[in-house]
Amino acid sequence: MNKLKRAVNRSDISRFRFCFQIVSFVLLIYGGYLAINIGDQLPTFACVFDDARGGSCYLMGFQHQMSTPFDRMFTGRGIGILMGLMTFAGFFILLNKAWCGYVCPLGTIQDWITKIRTKTGIRYSTYSAPTFNKLKVIKYALLVLLILIPMGIGNSIAGLPKLSHDFAVPFCMICPGRTVLPLFNGDISQLAIDFSSIPKMVFSSLGLLITGIFFTGAFVKKRFICLFCPMSALHYIFSRASLLRLTKNADKCTRCGNCYRACDVGIRAIADDLEHKNIVKGDCMMCLKCVEVCPEEKCLQVSFVGLPIFESTEEGFFKRTTGKQNGK
Amino acid sequence: MENERAKAAQRTTRLHLGMEAMETLRQVEEFPDNPLAMGYFYKLFQKMFTGDSMLPENKQIIATMCVQVPDELIYATGAVPFRLCSGAYAYDQIGAEFMPAKSCPVVRATSGMLNINEEIWGDKLSSVVIPTTCDQKKKAAEQIGDWSYNVYSLEMPSSKESDAARFYWQESVKQFALDLQKITGRKITRKNVKKAIAKKSEAGQLYRKLHELRMSDSPVILGKDMLLVTNAFFMDDIDNWIPAVTKLLAELQERSSEKITVSGRNAPRVLLTGSPPVFPNIKVPILVEQSGAVIVADEVCSSSRLLYDAVAYDEEILNDMIPAIADRYLKPCTCPCLSPNNDRKRKLVEMVKDFKVDGVVYQAFSGCLPYEMEQMQIAKVLEEAGIPMLYVETDYSPEDQGQLSTRIEAFIESIKMRKRKRKGGIASAAGRL
Amino acid sequence: MHYFAGIDIGSTTIKIVLTDEKELLVADYVCPTGSHFHKHTVAAFNDVLEQNDISKKNVSYIFSTGYGRKLFKEADDSISEISANAVGAGKIAATVGKVSTIINIGGQDLKIISLDNDGHVKNFAMNDKCAAGTGRFLDMMARNLEVDVDELGNHHLNSTGVPLTINSTCTVFAESEIIGLLAGGSGKAEIIAGIHYSIAKRVARLSKRVGSLGDVIFFDGGPAMNQGLVQAIEDELMQKIVVPEKPQITTAYGAALIARETFLYEDGSYVDG
Repeated sequence: MNKLKRAVNRSDISRFRFCFQIVSFVLLIYGGYLAINIGDQLPTFACVFDDARGGSCYLMGFQHQMSTPFDRMFTGRGIGILMGLMTFAGFFILLNKAWCGYVCPLGTIQDWITKIRTKTGIRYSTYSAPTFNKLKVIKYALLVLLILIPMGIGNSIAGLPKLSHDFAVPFCMICPGRTVLPLFNGDISQLAIDFSSIPKMVFSSLGLLITGIFFTGAFVKKRFICLFCPMSALHYIFSRASLLRLTKNADKCTRCGNCYRACDVGIRAIADDLEHKNIVKGDCMMCLKCVEVCPEEKCLQVSFVGLPIFESTEEGFFKRTTGKQNGK
Repeated sequence: MENERAKAAQRTTRLHLGMEAMETLRQVEEFPDNPLAMGYFYKLFQKMFTGDSMLPENKQIIATMCVQVPDELIYATGAVPFRLCSGAYAYDQIGAEFMPAKSCPVVRATSGMLNINEEIWGDKLSSVVIPTTCDQKKKAAEQIGDWSYNVYSLEMPSSKESDAARFYWQESVKQFALDLQKITGRKITRKNVKKAIAKKSEAGQLYRKLHELRMSDSPVILGKDMLLVTNAFFMDDIDNWIPAVTKLLAELQERSSEKITVSGRNAPRVLLTGSPPVFPNIKVPILVEQSGAVIVADEVCSSSRLLYDAVAYDEEILNDMIPAIADRYLKPCTCPCLSPNNDRKRKLVEMVKDFKVDGVVYQAFSGCLPYEMEQMQIAKVLEEAGIPMLYVETDYSPEDQGQLSTRIEAFIESIKMRKRKRKGGIASAAGRL
Repeated sequence: MHYFAGIDIGSTTIKIVLTDEKELLVADYVCPTGSHFHKHTVAAFNDVLEQNDISKKNVSYIFSTGYGRKLFKEADDSISEISANAVGAGKIAATVGKVSTIINIGGQDLKIISLDNDGHVKNFAMNDKCAAGTGRFLDMMARNLEVDVDELGNHHLNSTGVPLTINSTCTVFAESEIIGLLAGGSGKAEIIAGIHYSIAKRVARLSKRVGSLGDVIFFDGGPAMNQGLVQAIEDELMQKIVVPEKPQITTAYGAALIARETFLYEDGSYVDG
């Protein structure tokens, strides 16, 4: 057991993640060809607009459900909505934020773009802490809109007229998942602007614009779009209940900041928070790079249902960094 | 006439230096059962302090002060770093001729050393890199710049908390890398930075192994030897230092498996912190161990702070590697020139736990205000943790040895009595009254 | 019968104390250290044994302390004077209460030792490199005033005027101040009181470094026999202080007690009371 533990702690998690991401990517983008369907409430972007998908993103169904008129929410429909949310939460607590770091195809694509950038020798950009703190709020606003706009379709809110059905699934319309993921199946139809109505035209143009930002952003800043992702915001509500946890023993922390620098999303708290044991913050994607670059014994620890499965160790740190330095 | 007098001063200083070094080495070697592999270090110091010149031969030398100068970048240019911070009373006396009486002995001795060796060293040191750490180093830098040295002032923030401070330092280190290329005439490339990081990391790993060996219940190395090992890193060629430490480590590991220890099981375990003990001024650590205690850990810039922390870069591009190196020298640093310095308090408390420390000896050089002032905060934190601390104010002069030994012995005795009492054995007579 | 010896080799005097198994003080002895302190210590030790009719082989354990402790090789072990002083003072003052602070003025040093509830050394402060405000200082001043050092206390107590101010505790500067005062026609008694107050002020300043002094302050070392100095220190600390009957031998007594304990502990017959 100890031997296994040591082997895991010495392992190169980033390489494991790279492989895991490829498998997840194939499963979610092409799973349909093998008649695989994991479910319709996945806490990650398995896009409904991709015909060969191996499962579906929860947000699409969720937006539809939110357009249910209020009076019908408390009927059988309501139970359906609740069941959907529970299934989503059930999937989520299994892997916590690692859905973003290990499964999400949009995340994977961004990581690939990062790899390409590294080859060019261009340095990534970072936000200063105040900017970061301002920007990270946006995803919660998007989450609220993603709920309110559909509600406005099924109900008249505050005396305003109901919104037209052209406003349906507003988030999907602007989500780069809709435009990008079908491309991997040769489907370029989502790149068109929908001129059928003004809202649709606005939304689909916005979608294209965001798609552009998605690609350029990922080239400039690691995991650029994730900071604005409302799925990530929805995740965070359930994060504390998750079975997979990332914890920090502040006593061991020297605040060397290796973790902060390695963090693709740029979470400063990972290095500076000395109060909380649970260190999974709203933007964390549990890629576990922080654990890899921490040279202090058991300072950062990943556990599943209370069992430690991966810990920062001095031995692991030097094995990985010298491996890298020797060009392996 | 003037010239002759200068020559005489140089000769006398060299004589004093040799006497001082030999006396310290005598005390160091007097301990029974020194590890054989320590011989390398004893000889190294003897050669450095009694030979013609301390400086490495046939190498381009970038002299440094303070632990914040990134060695990796110097190695990357093919030059060698040479840490100047001196512990020699002979040089301190030279410095005292032109520096204020209340200045810090480290700065005084280092300035004195550069002053008296100016004629030769001025040519041999390609640059003297001095980070803007404490006020005294900063002012000394200006003064040294007036002599025939090429002083490089490495700008450092006085705090490390904000992002602004971190970026400022990263920019400063980037500029240093660019300037180093000009000074040395060699290019810093991705490849040679990578190699330099790997080399320093190898030294760091060795240090950490020694560090961990000291956590064991039966100590296999005394603090005075440990300090010589880390002090040697100031001046020794890293390519000689690594094999020498590897050999020492192997010998210590063997001793450990044979249960050969440097002290009895009940010897008080002491943590040393404060102003840096630098050879030949290691009188406080020697007195502590002569009193029957073992220094099992240290938190000083001439030892743990020098070698413990590790660089980790994310992307193999200069634009990430150099900031990563910069971070390593600022973020985990617990130098009291930084404010606030809560990390030092946390680190000390954690070390007390890890190394099962019975008492802390806090050495402050008179004139070193940051350490003198921080003492109050540290004393409070340690009192809360229930760990006794001895605060000794001292300097490089050997005159206070008698006083110091009484104070240090009394402290070690009080720890021993406490330990015995805890074990339920013999209590001090006073304790039972 | 087992006897235990504590030998305190100070800069000015050698103090020897013998105790028996019951911690009772059997003999005490004080003599000047002189230049050949090793020879003097051996001679003094033999004197003590002879006077009390004790055979050397009955002395089961010897602890040396004081500045010369390391060089007296006949001792079984040595201990710093700070620890020995704490033990000795704790035992002697047991009838008064728990000693919280010891003020010790020796031939060449001045120590403030603060003790915890268990009588362990908690913190201490010492004068730095020079002998200002120590026994040696009193010696020099007495010589300048042409009075016997043992008489300083009486002169002080007999003084009628306000004590004069001596600004310096540095022997050299204080000397010239005193010469000036004498030339100006000041009374000897007032000058002596002034000297005592200047030492007392120094004690008060140094004692601030160890923190709170607590309720029981114990004053020992040769100068504690000087009643004038005792009064001056009480005034400056604004607190009563305890002075033992024989202030010179506390440290030697402490060393003897430690010798006894160590012996019984090693012997295995020690029972923690």
